[in-house]
Amino acid sequence: MLKSKFKEARICFSNLRVTLPYPFGPGSEVAEGFRGKIDVDASRCIGCGGCANVCPSRLIRCHDEGDQTHMEFILDRCTYCGRCAEVCPEGAITMTLLFESATDDKTDLYIEQQLYMLTCKRCGRCFETENAIDRIPTRRMRKGRNYVGSSMPHGAPGEREAS
Amino acid sequence: MHSTAYCQAVEKAAEIEVPARGRFIRVICLELERIQSHLLWLGIAGHIIGFDTVLMQAWRIREPVMWLCEKITGNRKLLGMNLVGGVRRDVPRGIHDELLEVLARVEKESTAVLAAIAGDITLKARCEKVGVISPEESIAFALLGPTARASGISIDIRVDHPYAAYPELGCEVMVEQGCDIWSRVLVRLRETLEAIRLVRDALRMMPDGPIMADMRQPIPPGRIGLSSVEAPRGETHHFVITGEEQRPYRWKARAPTFQNLQGIPVMVAGEYIADVPIGLGSMDPCFSCTERLETIDVRSGEVRTWSREELQALYRLRHGLKEPL
Repeated sequence: MLKSKFKEARICFSNLRVTLPYPFGPGSEVAEGFRGKIDVDASRCIGCGGCANVCPSRLIRCHDEGDQTHMEFILDRCTYCGRCAEVCPEGAITMTLLFESATDDKTDLYIEQQLYMLTCKRCGRCFETENAIDRIPTRRMRKGRNYVGSSMPHGAPGEREAS
Repeated sequence: MHSTAYCQAVEKAAEIEVPARGRFIRVICLELERIQSHLLWLGIAGHIIGFDTVLMQAWRIREPVMWLCEKITGNRKLLGMNLVGGVRRDVPRGIHDELLEVLARVEKESTAVLAAIAGDITLKARCEKVGVISPEESIAFALLGPTARASGISIDIRVDHPYAAYPELGCEVMVEQGCDIWSRVLVRLRETLEAIRLVRDALRMMPDGPIMADMRQPIPPGRIGLSSVEAPRGETHHFVITGEEQRPYRWKARAPTFQNLQGIPVMVAGEYIADVPIGLGSMDPCFSCTERLETIDVRSGEVRTWSREELQALYRLRHGLKEPL
């Protein structure tokens, strides 16, 4: 009885304090390659909608409004899987090391961007340049009308299936 | 756990062969998850019976495993490693030494904790001969995982229906004959040590090569896949029918907690009130897996949510039970 209590006490005393005074002091660093809050670089986005296609929690919405492609990121539903960053052909979405995303204002977790696109003279659909659309490996998810282009179900950006 | 089961179900449906390295990495992730889950459970069990030293020490031991998971996969808990066809990230050679070093430390420390608490009579008074469920009753209620193994039933998906890289690695089923809470503690701690052994072997035997299968062919619709994975709590089954546009047509997941909960009335019958929480906690319940059932009538489109009473009544009707459970 006492022997096991001594053993327990020895384990406790040989490992004194391991917790950090976080959030009043600095916490420990996150590892390299950590999947934190996503960061969207609107200047690199071509509005292909590949991220909206693979997002498992469907928090990325992508639809056309006139000559604009309207993209919404509702990050309060984000599970930090990082699929969007993986399939983005232009590297517009990156995973930052930020994990302190708690907020009292939901709009902090909302990103909205409008991309001005060229419009197809024949069908009225938005697109960027022909080269950019050739690079898109994923099918475009659109409200109402699906852009049926080359399809690439599970990522591997850079490769595309002959349609 | 669930992502592995789902991906395996789709892979079976579409007849996709996962490369060997991908399967070994899956095993490493599954076993790291098992190590941290069992240590977390040990801490919670200690906390429930008011022995918080175990909570602090078990979680201290567990923390380096979480950091390791973060380093390998990019997140502590939701590893997000699986994709249909393989895994997303490789386990680079540079991380092997650190992994082995952390595993050695976890092994040494959990053995020390086990040796320390094994002779503690206050702990044993709370755990031995408490929450007993006999092997016959375990089979009758179809208990799963460590709860069943602690009642002397040798049942483990990793051995019975091996998946991923378990056929190559082999796995020992940890069975205890005590049928009580103490046996469940022992089963989980021995499984933790076995998981450490499995990760070591997987690192050693892992072949080089691709981690993802060639996924350029679309997944054919209308195929059926069923896959089972041994989660820390028991068996997880996923059933998938593939649909159009690379999306599932139907998907049913079955988590082990609902099965294990059926044994609770037997476990706590005749016990003290104070033993009910640890009796319930001894099977590592996950209540979000069991909350309610919703059915949709395909013809009329009527959605119906089944309450607990209705489900019990239906269960009793089906099984011809008259008296309350």
